[in-house]
Amino acid sequence: MSYLTKSPWVIHYDASSCNGCDIEVLAALCPGYDVERFGIINTGNPKHADIFLVTGSVNEQNIHVIKEIYDQMIEPKVVVACGVCACSAGIFHDCYNVIGGVDQAIPVDVYAPGCAVRPEAIIDAVVQGLGVLDEKAKALKAQKKGA
Amino acid sequence: MDILLIIIGTLAFAVAAPILGCLLSGIDRIISARMQGRVGPPLLQPYYDVRKLLEKDRVSVNASEGIYITCALLFTLLAGGIFFSGGSLLMSVFIITLAALFFVIAAYSTRSPYAEIGANREIIQVLAYEPMVLLVAVGFFMAIGSFDVSAVLSAETPAIVKAGLVFAGFMFVLTIKLRKSPFDLSYSHHAHQELVKGITTEMSGSTLAKVEIMHWCENVLFLGWVGMFFVWANPLSWIIAIAVVLFVWFLEILIDNNFARVKWQAMLKWSWIITFFAGGINIMILAYL
Amino acid sequence: MGMIGFLIVFPLVAALLLLCIKNNTARNVIASISTATIALASIVLAVVYFGHDGFFVLLNPIIDYACSAIGIIIAICILAYAIRYKNLLAGILALVQVGAALVFEFGFAHGFEVQSGLYVDSLSLLMALIIGVIGSGICLYALGYMEDFQAQHPDSKDRRPVFFALMFLFLSAMFGVVFSNNMLWLFTAWEITTVCSFLLIGYTKTDEAIKNAFRQIVMNLLGGIAFVGALFFIAVNFNTLSFSDFLAAGVLNPDAAALPVLLLAFAGITKAAQMPFQSWLLGAMVAPTPTSALLHSSTMVKAGVFLLVKLAPIFSVSFIPSVMVILVGGVTFLFTSFMAISQANAKRVLAYSTVANLGLIVACAGVGTPEAIWAAAFLILFHAIAKSLLFLCVGTAEHHIGSRDIEDMDLLFERMPRLARYMMLGIMCMFIAPFGMLIAKWATLVSFVETSQVALIILLVFGSAATFMFWGKWLGKLAGIAGNPKNEEMTVHRSEWISILLMAVLVVLCCVGLPIISKFVIEPYIATVFADFAPSISDGNLIIASVVTALVVVVLFAGLGKGKAKKANVYLSGVSVNNDSRTFSSSLSKETEATARNWYMENIFGEEVISSIGTICSALIIGIALVGAVALAIGLF
Repeated sequence: MSYLTKSPWVIHYDASSCNGCDIEVLAALCPGYDVERFGIINTGNPKHADIFLVTGSVNEQNIHVIKEIYDQMIEPKVVVACGVCACSAGIFHDCYNVIGGVDQAIPVDVYAPGCAVRPEAIIDAVVQGLGVLDEKAKALKAQKKGA
Repeated sequence: MDILLIIIGTLAFAVAAPILGCLLSGIDRIISARMQGRVGPPLLQPYYDVRKLLEKDRVSVNASEGIYITCALLFTLLAGGIFFSGGSLLMSVFIITLAALFFVIAAYSTRSPYAEIGANREIIQVLAYEPMVLLVAVGFFMAIGSFDVSAVLSAETPAIVKAGLVFAGFMFVLTIKLRKSPFDLSYSHHAHQELVKGITTEMSGSTLAKVEIMHWCENVLFLGWVGMFFVWANPLSWIIAIAVVLFVWFLEILIDNNFARVKWQAMLKWSWIITFFAGGINIMILAYL
Repeated sequence: MGMIGFLIVFPLVAALLLLCIKNNTARNVIASISTATIALASIVLAVVYFGHDGFFVLLNPIIDYACSAIGIIIAICILAYAIRYKNLLAGILALVQVGAALVFEFGFAHGFEVQSGLYVDSLSLLMALIIGVIGSGICLYALGYMEDFQAQHPDSKDRRPVFFALMFLFLSAMFGVVFSNNMLWLFTAWEITTVCSFLLIGYTKTDEAIKNAFRQIVMNLLGGIAFVGALFFIAVNFNTLSFSDFLAAGVLNPDAAALPVLLLAFAGITKAAQMPFQSWLLGAMVAPTPTSALLHSSTMVKAGVFLLVKLAPIFSVSFIPSVMVILVGGVTFLFTSFMAISQANAKRVLAYSTVANLGLIVACAGVGTPEAIWAAAFLILFHAIAKSLLFLCVGTAEHHIGSRDIEDMDLLFERMPRLARYMMLGIMCMFIAPFGMLIAKWATLVSFVETSQVALIILLVFGSAATFMFWGKWLGKLAGIAGNPKNEEMTVHRSEWISILLMAVLVVLCCVGLPIISKFVIEPYIATVFADFAPSISDGNLIIASVVTALVVVVLFAGLGKGKAKKANVYLSGVSVNNDSRTFSSSLSKETEATARNWYMENIFGEEVISSIGTICSALIIGIALVGAVALAIGLF
């Protein structure tokens, strides 16, 4: 087991949601759910984060921002799309300025649907993301050994 | 031999301080969680965090930052080694200041807006606490009769008896040195701060891991300074000193959880006022009475 | 003794030669050879005489008359300037001084015969090394610098012959100051340094330069008059003009010595630019940088502190002068350190830091214990080296980036990689352990604590914190790395590189070799002045300090910039436009550059607030001490 799974630090970006999912993300990070039990910390800095929580759909304005934050995160890293808008753009999918779900900008590892997504679903998604993180960590290690 | 002792002390500190510091940090996080009505992370969570950071890819904004941080870590270990091997307290103070300088330069070297604000704030923090830290050394000398920490082992009374006010002043700036709220201006452990991550904004992976380890070692060293006030020739005094250190650590956690961050003006003003009066009066008493 | 005579006369000859030569190449050759000769001669002198303290019989009325003649020439020179620029005060002071000096010389002085005109001890040898090596290094640097300077000021007349003549004359006078035992000669050399720096500050002849030059001459003439006053009292009370005899007699009879020592200390304080006289050294910044470097590091101000350190044995027994010197030094250290925080002009920061460190030396001299003198000697040494390194670096940077503002030195680490590293070395040497300056400060603190100088301890700890702030933020500016800026240091003159390298090597050697210097240079001096002595910092600590110094130097010059990690962009909240130039898209979708300035905290540490407080405090201290000393003197008669 990689230590990554014991200390997943998250960063949260609100793309263009109605704010419902953001509030749920923050609620999940509140003392009530005590995600620090799993070593989860909200960092607010891509360079420190391992898991990228995105809420809302991708549009022309924010696609660069999402890409840049993703690029600045350091391998291994995992993206969790929180809420149906982040998964597929939801009810906004045919708006003139909406490009689509987060996977239109960056590779998404875990989808957590819901409108709004429930905190339990977010925590579940992060825990699932840990499995992906572990695999990526192994891959990075193998790659480093190979190089 | 002086130097041999310090080398051994530094090596021992390099092994023991991260372990102790890591456990202290774990306790800190659990107690903080309990104060907030949570369960909190496992005791070894800080260790997991650092191991994780070491597993991350090696990335840096420039080729110098990591070297500055490595130096800062080395100097912290040396400062701890000097102190715990009974060397000169002033030397320990000066070397830890050197470590602080390298930490600040590392942040400046990135030329990142957030890191630079953090670095500027760190410098203000040094400005705020440095006079009191120097007065601690002076007060210690006047109470014990030597700058050598080992002198406490043969002292008839502990330093706290004569340097009580200096100790009180040190307690105030200790909160700055431990980077606890309300004085966690440049860098904080908590998510609530607004400046991304202050001085460590651009540090990642192994560099950030080194910062964490340095921070553990610093904590152990500063708590050592606290304990130094309570040790005298009686071997039983060690128990008192350890009890006081643990109590001070708890107090700092309590303060951390109960205060909102203040502005730098307030920090500078109050730490200098307290330094001037607490330190000044105590030293005047020791000098003239 | 021949060596000493050579050191005093040779620069004089070089000065005369340089005054006559207009050709650039010839000047370069002569100046280079002369600097090398002076440096070599001072090293040879040091090697020959270390451990052989002694006096040299030199009794020559011709020199006495020459001194009178020099005094008259100096007065005429100042008078001429005073008339030309209509500065009444300077003229009057010059007249008063020369009048008093002549009355003294012909009325009193010729009654005394000073058997040994010259002397040598470890302290004067150390000073000679500083003057000979660092001073001539600066002269060498000036060759390249003044060429650029002249090129940048094509409309002004090429007065370089005068400039270089003055520089070498300065060195000669400084050698005179440190080796003269006859106080009349000492006074003459002292006055030559005053007038040389007056002419050097006014070199550019701009309005500002002339104004600042007159401020310098007025303040230093006050000091000069005090010096003559002291000579009167020494002649009357002690019947001697031998410096060493006076020191010995003064220790035995501190009450009678109080007033003359106080007057000498006053002269030293004006020369060392202590508060309330700090403004002349700040004003001296208008001069070309080699002048500032010379004034700050190896000459002029060092003459002031040299005199005070020599007087230290009397300070340790005489209460009033000692308290005055201690308090003025301490107050100056604190307030000038504060003011340095508020400065963005690199040369002004350097100037304030010079005044602050001189304050520390002055305070150490006033404390007068062996430990304090040990600290003072090291402060003099390290300050001289590190400050000259810094001035030379700032001067070169100014010519290549076109500014002496610290904000404009942004990214110098990449733009002028070698220079920036030298500058960083110089800055670190000024304020951070384990470099020499801080070791000396450490000894200072110990000596203050051991003598229970509570006021000084408080002044020192707050001042030190301020020191960390203003050096730290400057260092931070230099250390910045962003983008791939053009390398701008290809056109730096060779003579500048040689001098900068010399200073940097000296910094490292002296820091690493500190235990050795202590054992073989400083301790012998202290042993001759005070009986028993053991340095307050143990050898073990000194050795640790030198090892750590070596490590920092290696990191600075070999380690930095060699990391192997992948290159990443800095965090700009995900909206960067061009990350290398730190531009981002603002909330109005406009391209904006992220820039940061240092903190200057004008409203807390601004010059206006602090300078008036400091001036009033120190003027009061000096005034009260003067009244006290006069009262004591009257009481004696």
